Amino acid sequence: MAHSPRSARCSPVSDTRPILALTGVAKSFGGVHAVSDISFDIAHGSVAGLMGPNGAGKTTVINLITGLLQHDTGRISLDGADLSGSPPQEIARLGIARTYQNVRLFSGMTSLEQVVAGGFLRRSTSMLASFFGTSSARQAMKRTQDEALALLERVGMADRANVLAEALSYGEQRRIEIARALGSHPKLLLLDEPTAGMNAAESQMIGRLLHELRDGGLSILMVEHNIRLVSDFCDHVAVMNFGRKLTEGTPAACLAHPEVQEAYFGRKRTPPSESESHAQRARAHG
Amino acid sequence: MSMLLDWWAAYESTLAFAIVNAFFALSTYAVMATGILSFATVAFAAVGGFLGVQLLAQLGLPLWIVLPGSAVGGCAAALLVSVVFLRLESHWLALASLALILITRILVLNAPALTGGVNGLSVPVEAPFWLLLVLLASVSVGFWRLSVSWYGIAARAVREDPAVAGSLGIAPKTIQLIGFAISGAMGGLGGVLLAMTLQFVSPETYYIPVAFTMIAAVVLGGSYHWTGAIIGALVFTALPQIMQAVVPQVQNVANGLALLLIMIMLPRGLIDPRAWRIRRALRDARR
Repeated sequence: MAHSPRSARCSPVSDTRPILALTGVAKSFGGVHAVSDISFDIAHGSVAGLMGPNGAGKTTVINLITGLLQHDTGRISLDGADLSGSPPQEIARLGIARTYQNVRLFSGMTSLEQVVAGGFLRRSTSMLASFFGTSSARQAMKRTQDEALALLERVGMADRANVLAEALSYGEQRRIEIARALGSHPKLLLLDEPTAGMNAAESQMIGRLLHELRDGGLSILMVEHNIRLVSDFCDHVAVMNFGRKLTEGTPAACLAHPEVQEAYFGRKRTPPSESESHAQRARAHG
Repeated sequence: MSMLLDWWAAYESTLAFAIVNAFFALSTYAVMATGILSFATVAFAAVGGFLGVQLLAQLGLPLWIVLPGSAVGGCAAALLVSVVFLRLESHWLALASLALILITRILVLNAPALTGGVNGLSVPVEAPFWLLLVLLASVSVGFWRLSVSWYGIAARAVREDPAVAGSLGIAPKTIQLIGFAISGAMGGLGGVLLAMTLQFVSPETYYIPVAFTMIAAVVLGGSYHWTGAIIGALVFTALPQIMQAVVPQVQNVANGLALLLIMIMLPRGLIDPRAWRIRRALRDARR
């Protein structure tokens, strides 16, 4: 395992250089500005959160980072290397893995097969050697399978390894998807609402898993609605609304920010000021 | 013993055609396994067929050169075609591949020096039945190896969700290009074997009926496992013959009814690994 737990638990942010940097990133679909002028950094070995109401453009940001969409302007860089114009498979090769908001597992594959497919980049054998079944290719496949099983164990799904993934519950499928993403041993893991459809205990389990992974050196960005999860487990948060960044900072500071409160809970009804109420009263009497 | 020989005499040619159709079905399966519906196999078969016949009749080359030669010809045609086809979205690709069949026929009609034009060409060599069997067996080993190799894993991922496959580092277009190459080789080989089984080729040999047969075979047999293509071709070729022997008066009705029943009862085909897994899971759960 690359992400073996490290002892330095107290200082999650070990490196000041950002692993991922978004600078002035924008994306429009026709006349709709899905993402406009977004900039934020993710520190090495941290759990970053991306929050915002529905339709704020969070998933679009994830799709831009992973190359599923190409941004119109701005720059996205991983460890200083520009990702613009790279196809998704190239970005995966550079060390970014992801999960999806509406779980996208492969139909007809067992849990183990899903995670084995996730290990494609680390297969350490050519497709041709694998076709001929050379002894080194067989050993490499065995290693991949053992690793996949270890990852399933990590997300608590080892006992369902040989079950067809579509027969599992939604929460279980999400955990399989995380294991599949970890199969490529990424540097940066992007999670799109990892705990949607999970109960509180399951969510807490995911949160703890993320901290374990972070302590093993992985950097994580998660899009999340669950405010509890964000405030408990994120080191740094950026909040979006209508495609723009409202604010960023520690979870507590972000949640206390008036614009964030307004975006989530609506505008606070302010009592009418004295002169206004005076005028109203005057009109009523007049 | 004599009964067995009678049976063999009656059905040998049916079985030979079933094996030839299995090659076409496997060719269709090879691209379908990467998520592409393509009828282009018919064009690859024409390339392999006419190339093989020319090598046999004009140059008098032995079979061990002609058969690989046809496969390579089909493969080359497939690589050429896929450069254009892989730019198209799924439905448009299917339509373009149908158009390719029509284009192929016109090319065949207008190159009489190579193809015999409207009159066609007679083929001097017949494919012995044992050779068909040996070829199908070795191709089957190839498809089995493909299905358990990293290519097979990648192809399944691309078929189920190309975007997700991409984010796992699997390049969908590369996998589909390999799929087309395999499809071309199978199509080319099937093309020359069809020519040697019929002992005659004309523009009508590689035309729409072949496309229907191979697609029906794959759908009937199951498009999620390579054995589905072979079983589908066997059933689809043998069924009309058997119906003719058993219920000659209502042959076509019985034929259609049998196909309808299979499709209603087994919508994913006769061979469906996913259904087996679900059944096994249910059995385990009951225990």
